[in-house]
Amino acid sequence: MKKNLITIVIAAVLVVIFALLLFTFQVRQSEVAVLTTFGKPAANNIDQPNLYFKWPWPIQQVYRFDQRTQIFEDKFSENLTADGTMLLTSVYVGWKISDAKEFFPKFAGGSVAAAQRQLEQMLRSAKAAVIGANNLSDFVNSDPAQLKLEAIENEIKTRVQAELASNNYGISIEFLGIKKLGLPESVTQTVFDRMKSERNKYISEAQFKGEAEATKIRSAAERQAADVLANAQADATRIEGEGVAEAAKTLSVFQQNPELAIFQLQLAALKNSLNQKSTLIFDERTPPFSLFQNLPANAGTK
Amino acid sequence: MSEHDHPHSPPLETQDAGSQALAEALRSSFVIVKIAMAALLVIIFAAGFFTVGPQEKAVILRFGKPLGEGQNMLLGAGLHWSLPYPIDEVVRIPITEIQKVSSTIGWYLTSPEMELAGTEPPAGPSLNPQIDGYVVTADRNIIHTRATVSYHIEDPRTAIFNFASGTNHQFNLTGVSNALQNAVNNALILTAARFNVDDILTRDIAGFQDAVRERVIELSEREHLGVAIDADGVQVQSIAPRQLKAAFDQVTTARQNREKLLNDATGDASRILSQAGASAASITNAAESARTRFVTGIASDAEAFTKLLPNYESNPNLFAQMELSKAMTQVLTNVEDKIFLPQRADGKPRELRLMLNREPPQPKSAANP
Repeated sequence: MKKNLITIVIAAVLVVIFALLLFTFQVRQSEVAVLTTFGKPAANNIDQPNLYFKWPWPIQQVYRFDQRTQIFEDKFSENLTADGTMLLTSVYVGWKISDAKEFFPKFAGGSVAAAQRQLEQMLRSAKAAVIGANNLSDFVNSDPAQLKLEAIENEIKTRVQAELASNNYGISIEFLGIKKLGLPESVTQTVFDRMKSERNKYISEAQFKGEAEATKIRSAAERQAADVLANAQADATRIEGEGVAEAAKTLSVFQQNPELAIFQLQLAALKNSLNQKSTLIFDERTPPFSLFQNLPANAGTK
Repeated sequence: MSEHDHPHSPPLETQDAGSQALAEALRSSFVIVKIAMAALLVIIFAAGFFTVGPQEKAVILRFGKPLGEGQNMLLGAGLHWSLPYPIDEVVRIPITEIQKVSSTIGWYLTSPEMELAGTEPPAGPSLNPQIDGYVVTADRNIIHTRATVSYHIEDPRTAIFNFASGTNHQFNLTGVSNALQNAVNNALILTAARFNVDDILTRDIAGFQDAVRERVIELSEREHLGVAIDADGVQVQSIAPRQLKAAFDQVTTARQNREKLLNDATGDASRILSQAGASAASITNAAESARTRFVTGIASDAEAFTKLLPNYESNPNLFAQMELSKAMTQVLTNVEDKIFLPQRADGKPRELRLMLNREPPQPKSAANP
């Protein structure tokens, strides 16, 4: 009896495992699954990771798709801008299968390569339309307000999204950006020529401007120096004038006896003028040589 | 086992030999099944062990859902255990410590090996956009620029389960690094499109790099890549086209020369100004001292005058005579030639001849004895 119980349990486990394999399927985090019943897709995608039940083949069948975002990069395409410049652009697109039940009947066996071909075709026409509506100055501009690259990217994205939605491809565009921006090869050479002449302009500009500015700086300094000196001279004159004015206050002292004052001044002048290197000629009338002529008569009175 | 049972079988002759054989066969096969089951359980349990290598991480999917949140989702190197297959599934993700992407869409055709060996293909007269990459600047110049971005996975769920490369249901980080690389490509193009060539190459190298970095971060957030850019993780290198290297170098030299000229001029200017300042100070100082000298001179004269005044007033003539005599004494000591010329006895004036000639050469020179 005990043996039988074990047998039954084992058998049951085996049956359960077999049934699980036959009647269930798993959907992983990264996947979306479509369940078909006799080839007809179910109304809903199974996009949440979990264990699901199904009837075994050939009644129901599971188709799995990767629902992760994939990057698609298109080839360079040449388009004319509104102002007639030929631009080469290449974009990258982050796209994913958003509606697997719509996606897989439209592209043979849910072929991603076929979907990307479709995407590339849409991108080509969207790029041509958007680039043709913009000027080169919208693509490159030092003024952030006039640079429209992001708007251009958004416009291309919106166009492709609209076309995908109207055809119900089951694809969604997550993001789109310009990957490369170039000019036709022949144009690069003319750009180089222009750049070179621009460089030469800068070289001579730097040389001449440098000399001119240096001269300007020096002459400005010289003018300023002259100003400083002139101001100093003026100050000196003012200071000396102040000295004279201050001295004038003491003149009242001399007014007590102008004769003495004048005598003093004359005396000082005499001393100063006959200071050195002078020849003095005098006769007996000049004191003290007047002594030679006549001695003081009243010497005795002393 | 069956051989062991045989010795006991002969007494039960009455039983049907066929059914007995069947019972025995069943019994023995059940034993085998039991052993097999036990072995299977052990195998199933043991099969749950798995190792993770140093260059990879693992994620356990239970019924398709990753176990754990955030960084806990990633199992590092070592031994791990999971439930058997239909319940758990182990997914391995190749991941290295350092995550790096570089963008070379703006660089001419080369490779690190060629760069090191100096065997890069020579620059032609023009650039074929299919082969040689470049970016167009705001002032419509063509330059080369490239960037390297180092980052780390911040949200493994997003990075692993939201981005794929190809459709083979493989789990790796190629999809997310591909997306990030394109974000860097885009950042270089968009940033170059609003910078002028001289800012990118010389004037504002750091500003350009910061702008690229900002754009990469903005895109990685907007596109929900689940990665975080490392601090100082964006390195940008920009050069002028090789075809125009000489011209660009000459501009740099000319600008440096100009800087030098200006620096020299500024130096001269400050020298001129400080000299002028010094001269001005000496002029005013001289005036100040002359003024002081003058004022004090007058003041001392006045003082002397005040002292002398009573003497003078008591006998002006005597005072004057005395002062004059004192002065004459002083004068006569200083005067070089003194000539006394008494009056002629007849009262007629004397005649003096004055020989005026140039002053003799200065005797101060040492050579002159």
